[in-house]
Amino acid sequence: MSATSHPVDPAAELRARFEAVVMPHLDRLLAFAIRRTDSVADAEDAVQEACVRAWLGFTDLRDEANARPWFYRILRTVLSDMREKSGRRQQLVYITRLEDAHDELVGGEHDALFAEVVSRLDSEAVHRGLRNIPEDFAAAVELHDIDGFKYVEIAEIVGVPIGTVMSRIARGRKLLAGAIMAERGAAAAEHRSTDRRSAQGGPR
Amino acid sequence: MSDDRSTMANRAASPEEAARESRHEVLRELLGAYADRELPPETVAQIDAHLVGCAECRRGLEVHHALRARLAVEPPAAASPAFRARIAAAIDAAPAPAPRVATDVRVSSNARMLWLAASGWIIAMVLSIALAMTSGTTSVFAPTSRTLSTPVHDVPLLGAVVDDYARVSRGDLPGRARDLDAVRAAVSFPVEPLRAQNLRLIAAWTTDVHGEPAAVLAYRLDDRLLVQYLVAEDVFFQHPAIRSAIADHHLLRAADGDRTVVAWPDSSTGTVLVGNVPTESLQTIWRSESKR
Repeated sequence: MSATSHPVDPAAELRARFEAVVMPHLDRLLAFAIRRTDSVADAEDAVQEACVRAWLGFTDLRDEANARPWFYRILRTVLSDMREKSGRRQQLVYITRLEDAHDELVGGEHDALFAEVVSRLDSEAVHRGLRNIPEDFAAAVELHDIDGFKYVEIAEIVGVPIGTVMSRIARGRKLLAGAIMAERGAAAAEHRSTDRRSAQGGPR
Repeated sequence: MSDDRSTMANRAASPEEAARESRHEVLRELLGAYADRELPPETVAQIDAHLVGCAECRRGLEVHHALRARLAVEPPAAASPAFRARIAAAIDAAPAPAPRVATDVRVSSNARMLWLAASGWIIAMVLSIALAMTSGTTSVFAPTSRTLSTPVHDVPLLGAVVDDYARVSRGDLPGRARDLDAVRAAVSFPVEPLRAQNLRLIAAWTTDVHGEPAAVLAYRLDDRLLVQYLVAEDVFFQHPAIRSAIADHHLLRAADGDRTVVAWPDSSTGTVLVGNVPTESLQTIWRSESKR
């Protein structure tokens, strides 16, 4: 029997194409959502909503090679809607403090130490650092460094000029470095304080 | 060539040193894009040459490299089979997508336009180096301005700012100067108060300007109230009248009745400064800022 004797179901074909084009990016999108929500459950809700919206708009996607940035853009809209609905505001460390920490870093001779510190950070520490910097900067850095998008794609996803992407990535990395160094400084101070209390007669 | 920028900054700047410092200020903002290989070859060559003599930029570059390398190995999450099944069920329950006129993300077709804009931005940055080098001044831009050719309310951002200024100046100011840190934490762009002779910060708060978040700083200039609205650069550059004025003259001037307005961009923000004062007073403040 020839293949042409089977009528093609257009709906099934569309669904199969959606599965093939969009769903391979699910793990990366889930990670992106987890970094900007309070729980895995919230992140899963956001990704699920993004998948449904992507499905409903799938016929709008002419060039399937661009499915990944298109899917991220939908997810960012969903996450933004969720934040607006919940009224949740990001708790930030003051930007000037982070910039000071970065300036101290590049003004001194600790660059080798910094590379060592950063290479040993666990995911939890990386996420804490990213959460301590403004969302626009964190998103640009993550889309480039973690998700591997080019600047031109990030400009499309975020909807800003490419010059803005450049400055957000540059500034975002500086703030992230500041956040990492500030947390390291705070941990060292806490450690010294604990040592002092121990030396003065142990815990009370 | 000296490796010590702080020593250089502390010395009385000769024209050559001032030009070198200006070049440093511009190029260090491009280090992220340099690390990411997102710059055109001629800009890369300029940065290569600068890095040879600038230890601070070499350290700054190392920070970019270190963070890039660490973030690149950040693992993706693993969507569980149950979660995948949940998504499949949600899609099954949704209607099939209807055929529509395409409005897809055309990265490739838009890429040329985006890169044209980016090239312009980089060229502007590099040109500013050349200007600083030839003029030998510490100011990258010459202080000129252009009066807005249309009524203020034809530009939504400026119209909203002028209306908000009118409302604010009629009543109690919504914040205090000590709220500055809270304002900084509430917005995603840098907020630095203006500094000029006889200008004192008296209040800070946040607001929405034409639906976009803005940081608002109120100042006393002698016995007049000036209000500065800071917005993200993409909001600032949205209207062509602003883009055109800034591209040509770096400072936009406008007037609405007794109220005068000047506007200018910073590295990642835009400022609109409003007051019931002569435009020259506002321009003097901007000149002080551009020299900082």
